[in-house]
Amino acid sequence: MTTRPRLNIGTNLVAGLGAFALFVVMALTILNASLPEVQGFPEGANVTASIGYAIFNLSLGSVPGESFLAAFIIIAITLDVALDGAVHLARRQRSEKQQTILSDGGKRLKSVVLDEEDE
Amino acid sequence: MVPPQYYLLLSAALFCIGLFGILTRQNALLFLMSVELMLNAANINLVAFSLVWGNITGQTFGLFTMALAAAEVAIGIGIVLVLYRNFDDVDVTNATTMRW
Amino acid sequence: MVLAFDLTPVIVLLPVLSFVIALFAGDYLPWGGAEVGIAATTGALGLSLWVALTLAIGSGPYHQTVYTWASGLDAVNLTFGVLIDPLSSMMLIIVSLVALLIHIFSLGYMNDEGEDGIPRYYAGLGLFSASMLGFVVADNLLMAFMFFELVGLCSYLLIGFWFRESGPSSAAKKAFLVTRFGDYFFLLGVVAVFATFGTAMFVGESSFPALAEAAINTDQVAVNTFGFSPQSWFTILGLLVLGGVIGKSAQFPLHTWLPDAMEGPTPVSALIHAATMVAAGVYLVARMYGFYAISPDALAIIAFVGGFTALFAASMGVVKREIKQVLAYSTISQYGYMMLGLGGGGYVAATFHLMTHAFFKALLFLGAGSVIIAMHHTEDMWEMGGLKRKLPVTYYTFLAGSLALSGIIPFAGFWSKDEVLFEALLHGLDGNTILLAAYAMGLLAVFLTGFYTFRMVFLTFHGKPRTDAARSPHTIRWNMKLPLVVLGILAATVGLLNMTPVAELTGLQIEFIHQWLKHGFAGLTTEHYEVLLHDYAGYGVAELHLSPLLPGAVSLGLALSGALAARHLYSVPEPVEHTAKLGRAKTVLYNNYYQDEYQVWLATGLTRSVSRISNKFDQGIIDGLVNAISSVSLFIGSRMRRIQTGAVNDYAVLLTLGLTALLLAVGLVGGWFV
Repeated sequence: MTTRPRLNIGTNLVAGLGAFALFVVMALTILNASLPEVQGFPEGANVTASIGYAIFNLSLGSVPGESFLAAFIIIAITLDVALDGAVHLARRQRSEKQQTILSDGGKRLKSVVLDEEDE
Repeated sequence: MVPPQYYLLLSAALFCIGLFGILTRQNALLFLMSVELMLNAANINLVAFSLVWGNITGQTFGLFTMALAAAEVAIGIGIVLVLYRNFDDVDVTNATTMRW
Repeated sequence: MVLAFDLTPVIVLLPVLSFVIALFAGDYLPWGGAEVGIAATTGALGLSLWVALTLAIGSGPYHQTVYTWASGLDAVNLTFGVLIDPLSSMMLIIVSLVALLIHIFSLGYMNDEGEDGIPRYYAGLGLFSASMLGFVVADNLLMAFMFFELVGLCSYLLIGFWFRESGPSSAAKKAFLVTRFGDYFFLLGVVAVFATFGTAMFVGESSFPALAEAAINTDQVAVNTFGFSPQSWFTILGLLVLGGVIGKSAQFPLHTWLPDAMEGPTPVSALIHAATMVAAGVYLVARMYGFYAISPDALAIIAFVGGFTALFAASMGVVKREIKQVLAYSTISQYGYMMLGLGGGGYVAATFHLMTHAFFKALLFLGAGSVIIAMHHTEDMWEMGGLKRKLPVTYYTFLAGSLALSGIIPFAGFWSKDEVLFEALLHGLDGNTILLAAYAMGLLAVFLTGFYTFRMVFLTFHGKPRTDAARSPHTIRWNMKLPLVVLGILAATVGLLNMTPVAELTGLQIEFIHQWLKHGFAGLTTEHYEVLLHDYAGYGVAELHLSPLLPGAVSLGLALSGALAARHLYSVPEPVEHTAKLGRAKTVLYNNYYQDEYQVWLATGLTRSVSRISNKFDQGIIDGLVNAISSVSLFIGSRMRRIQTGAVNDYAVLLTLGLTALLLAVGLVGGWFV
């Protein structure tokens, strides 16, 4: 016997109403806010080129902006670090001694500390 | 010109959809997807205000935010992997040992 | 400045030094600390004699504040000071002489018997000597109170010297607690004196006796009497301080600790519970006599308590078996006489009796100590007998002391006790019935004193030896005989210092103690006291001229008849327990009129029930309140912690709701939504 497909929401649908409440509040705020006049970009400006110039601290772009060289370098480092971190987290532990992450919920450590029988 | 309120409303809606996902999802990977949604909602906000002020900073910053989101997802996936190893399941509602 | 007076603090500090040395280095000294004790008390005695000589040749009395330990802004000043006048210098000599002789005697009593913990003993004696000397030279009531307490502490330490046995440790606690009960009232009195007069000095124009006299004299009341009339308030203050005096001098009803204090070593009993510590109470009243002399009610109470105690304790001493117990009750009785003397207006008589009693009672205790050593630590008189041939020095000195105690002419006790009774009679005949009643009780006690004293002498020394220990007693050495001889001579001769009847009869000026106490600070002389007694207490108002011969003859006759009665009953080769013939009365007397049981009942039956109720109040209500508050906190905490479910989603929900609420609140207040 088959049943019609059900939307898989997960538990606690009611909790999601909190998100809806937040949307209502934000929408009301936005609609009542007085935003400044849209200035827009100059006609025919090369937006992507301006972005590139802004990244490298070169003021050659037609749209004005700040310089982001330091942030560029830092984000490069951050991506590198994230990569290494992900690799480290995913690594399977080689042996007992070189364990840096408790990947079994600490069961082995608990048995060793409390002198219980190994499973 | 599209009034900026529409962009902001879109951004708020996307944010709240992502938030809904965080509040209700059991699967850790879907949880991470919802976090991505929220980050992208912030990006839309940045781009909208870049248009309002006529400054390129908003869009440039948005790029950096995207890169950061990528880095965060990498780490996040690694954490989900360790979570799976400890609890034999990617269900976030199952991992409740740090409780009262 | 006069060197002798400047060195007065050294008198107090020398025994402190011996205390410290005996405590820390006594184990390394050959006599266990006795050498430093003997040296310190010899030094103190020498300095006291020098001070007395300096006073005698006319360098005036001395008062100096040595140390101000709390100087108040617009409040009282708390100081330590030294007051040297004829009374205190006399007492200094008495205390240091008796302390020196006790130290020498202890060589024989403690060192030769191979006791344990000798350094602790001499340290205790040193601390006691220092405290008592400090008390004697105290110039204000608070300092006197502090040294009063110190003396009580040393009494506790020394009574409980053999603390590993249950008797001495329990007796020490009892002594401390009973005297402490009295000292509680004393402390209230000290605080009240400070609150009333702003000063507690004994001497000077701004001393509290002078201020009290001025407050009663003039109507401008410069002192704070808390709503009472000055006369009644000063009587109340006097009675509060009297509480401490009654406790320390073992008067009824706080006398119960003294017989039990005989659990301590006999030299301790001689020093503390005969000659010096119990004298502290009487000395205090004598020191503040200007304050007591202006309240006739306090004087009457003092006299009545004294006379009653004299008779009360003498009646109990008649049936006791142990030699030290007889002497303990005798001490209580004799201090009753001193209180009778003070209350009856005989300031000189009481201080004179204090001096003679110190010597002959110490002598009797030391004699008892040597008997105890000779009898291998037996104290029961019914196991002694016939010791007079084996212990001649002890016998003759003990006999001298007994004759002095009973008041047989020409020994010391006769002159002093007789003068006490005479003063009480003289001032009682002015129409003061309380004094007359007290005099009657004191007179009756004379008969009993003679009786029990000679009963003690005959049972111990006369007749045939009743046990083997009595047949071959231990020999005693020079270190016990020397103090006995010195005190024996003093007991026989010191009475000659103030032979009032002879002076009246012959008109010679031989009342040396009278004359000695005539000089001194303006408010502290005998003339001033007589004026006060005359004006405020009405003593001597009727100006009766009674010759001291007849009352003296009456008391002498009573004493002799008591002695002869004892001789008739007990001076036989094999005496029997005649006290059994008293029947039921004997049981009551032997059980000390059940005063001990009564006081224990007061503590356990009465006080404990009250304290149980207040304990319940404290634990139930006060503690309960605190516990309730904490249990509320615990309950709320145990409910609140369930927010921490461990699931991330729930935390996110909380975050979201919090953010929404915050935005809503700020938006409403800030007007975002209008």
